[in-house]
Amino acid sequence: MIGTMRKQLRSHPALIPLLFFIGGGAAMSMTYLARLALRNPDVSWDRKNNPEPWNNMDPTHQYKFYAIDMDYSKLKKQGPDF
Amino acid sequence: MAFPSQLGFQDAASPVMEELLTFHDHALMIVFMISALIGYFIIAMVTANLSDMYILDSQEIEIIWTVLPAVVLILIALPSLRILYLMDEVNDPHLTIKAMGHQWYWSYEYTDYENLEFDSYMIPTQDLAPGQFRLLEADHRLIVPAESPIRVLVSAEDVLHSWAVPALGVKMDAVPGRLNQTAFIASRPGVVYGQCSEICGANHSFMPIVVEAVPLQQFEDWSALMIQDA
Repeated sequence: MIGTMRKQLRSHPALIPLLFFIGGGAAMSMTYLARLALRNPDVSWDRKNNPEPWNNMDPTHQYKFYAIDMDYSKLKKQGPDF
Repeated sequence: MAFPSQLGFQDAASPVMEELLTFHDHALMIVFMISALIGYFIIAMVTANLSDMYILDSQEIEIIWTVLPAVVLILIALPSLRILYLMDEVNDPHLTIKAMGHQWYWSYEYTDYENLEFDSYMIPTQDLAPGQFRLLEADHRLIVPAESPIRVLVSAEDVLHSWAVPALGVKMDAVPGRLNQTAFIASRPGVVYGQCSEICGANHSFMPIVVEAVPLQQFEDWSALMIQDA
């Protein structure tokens, strides 16, 4: 399959940017899904040791993907302990 | 506020809205350039006398019109995501106000220090004073201190509503049983208007939002008077 792809790419080099952008888009969506599955505090993988990760969140934890103006190290816990 | 035959956005009354305006200028400029290019192509194709033009198999142009649009999309996406994440950050607000949507009025609660609550109904057209705006004025305005980060918690008591003030760049759905959070900073003292933005029944168009930003001293005087009067 890789050999067929290489042959097609040699005769139609315009497919290279297409492959790059579509492949990049697919890779980015899969990475985001993996990040959601592994890093999202709403997801619980270990029911015995960490059943409710949303209750164990550190107030200085950056759970948003991109922090522009927010200094997470300065935040303090504002709610009661469970 | 909005004025007749207005084409663009209202002037920004908050830093977030200024960012949105700049981004909109950027995206619209790209859209205009693309439309001008396409318009040129259309006219060139339609007015050409040649019929056997090169229309089959060109690798170079295929590469160009794959890479260039991808680059343009990235140029639009990066500022857009930046503003999206910026709007989501609530940086240590000085005041928290609850805006509850009812059929068909808004009620505001300032419960950080004392218990200040009031309803805000639209002023009917026949009761307007000269100079007031039809369908936009309310009897009790949401008074906020200028240049302070304000957090607004939005919810509803009956059906879906939406608390929207375009000049501040704020719109948040009021869902019964759910608490939504939004925040803004009023850049300067002034009055800005908004309207309910989710269909909620017969008088959906008649439950406006009026936010009046005042200097901090005046805000403190006003809130002391309101609590006294209650």
